[in-house]
Amino acid sequence: MTEKTDDREEIGLEDLFERLEAAIHSMEEEDISLEDSFRLYHEGIDILKNCNDRIDEVEKKMLILDEEGGVHEFE
Amino acid sequence: MTRNVYTVKQVNAYIKNMFTQDYMLNRIYVKGEVSNCKYHTSGHIYFSLKDGSGTIACVMFAGRRGGLSFRMQEGQQVIVLGAVSVYERSGSYQLYAQEIRPDGEGVLYERFQMLKRELEEMGMFAPEYKKTIPAYAKRIGIVTAPTGAAIRDIMNIASRRNPYVQLILYPAQVQGEGAKESIVRGIRMLQDTDVDVMIVGRGGGSIEDLWAFNEEEVARAIFQCRVPVISAVGHETDTTIADYVADLRAPTPSAAAELAVSDYLQTQMRLKEYELRLNRILAQRLRMAKQKIREYGMRLKYLHPRYRLQEQQQRLADLEDNLRRLMEEKIRDSRHRLAIYMEIIKGLSPMDKLNHGYSYVANEEGNVVRSICQVKRRENLEIYVTDGMIRVSVESTKEVRHDREDR
Repeated sequence: MTEKTDDREEIGLEDLFERLEAAIHSMEEEDISLEDSFRLYHEGIDILKNCNDRIDEVEKKMLILDEEGGVHEFE
Repeated sequence: MTRNVYTVKQVNAYIKNMFTQDYMLNRIYVKGEVSNCKYHTSGHIYFSLKDGSGTIACVMFAGRRGGLSFRMQEGQQVIVLGAVSVYERSGSYQLYAQEIRPDGEGVLYERFQMLKRELEEMGMFAPEYKKTIPAYAKRIGIVTAPTGAAIRDIMNIASRRNPYVQLILYPAQVQGEGAKESIVRGIRMLQDTDVDVMIVGRGGGSIEDLWAFNEEEVARAIFQCRVPVISAVGHETDTTIADYVADLRAPTPSAAAELAVSDYLQTQMRLKEYELRLNRILAQRLRMAKQKIREYGMRLKYLHPRYRLQEQQQRLADLEDNLRRLMEEKIRDSRHRLAIYMEIIKGLSPMDKLNHGYSYVANEEGNVVRSICQVKRRENLEIYVTDGMIRVSVESTKEVRHDREDR
């Protein structure tokens, strides 16, 4: 649980989207070199992969938190 | 005995100081019935509050009249907010009123208004304290009743929008005795887990049913919560203190779920779109780079010495052709002119004239005879015709005048 928190606090999905947006914007600049284009492209693809990794596609059941701080599945 | 004697002034000042330092007495709500109410010409209002057990003297100074929005009357039930302090001249204490509200009917509304104003003055509703709701929360805490429409609505919307988000419910008691404590405990316990955002609320109900969300303890728990809180109390028209203090107010629990749970399909579409844009731009960059290479290649080729040489050879050949053509033209012209001259010369030839029956006469010295004065009698002359010469002797001469010469 703690590990997860650290990982998430590192950088959020929204921040990753902003970085993607910035990379794409730079690539659209008129005077960008081909080398920089490649670098930004790879950066973008890495971020995309990172985004996909972050979306944990496991269906979750609602949990219930009891008075002792324990969690159980809801009904 | 002589050691412990004080002046009246000292005692009154001492007591007044005690009152002033008391936290409770500086800001206190007192309810009771209005009696001996006097509106003084100076604008101050003097009155007493009484109940079955006794009375307390009250004053509202003219400068505080903004805290009173109705005309006070004898026997009215009111709630007075003020400070209890000592009036040293008479050695009595009294309530210095700041706000006076009618009690009884609408008391809940008055309490709501008072708390709202109080918390607002403290800055608890200030936008600078509002935390941002994360756009892609992975774990969402919910403080509401485990039975009831609110939790069902939230579950339905969450599973429809994004079934991969983890919901954690704190099953709270949301109305009746112990509700505010239960809600506060839920907020505190959930903030100690790793939720990204919290929904605090309940479904619709009467003002009494929703009352726990108007309690100061709940408001403070929401304000102090480290995790962003979305309030979702009752229906759209119900606004509670919790709504003012929350980081975001949702009109209903369903709306809160819409705000807290990101739409999975939309996120996927956004990612797809980013991918497409990245690929498209890179492909475009490559196309542009290739185009540039082609251009440079062509320019380079044009600059190659062989190409320059070929060009010069071509130019030389062109010049040669030109020269040749001009020369030929010159020759053709000259030939033409020669032919014309030959024609002219032919026209001038004496032989031609002889052909027409004319002849040429010369004397023995070979000089042309043009006049009768050039010949003598018996002189031999030679007449030239086309095919030869006739030798003749002069018989006589006779002058003839031609018309042409007369003119």
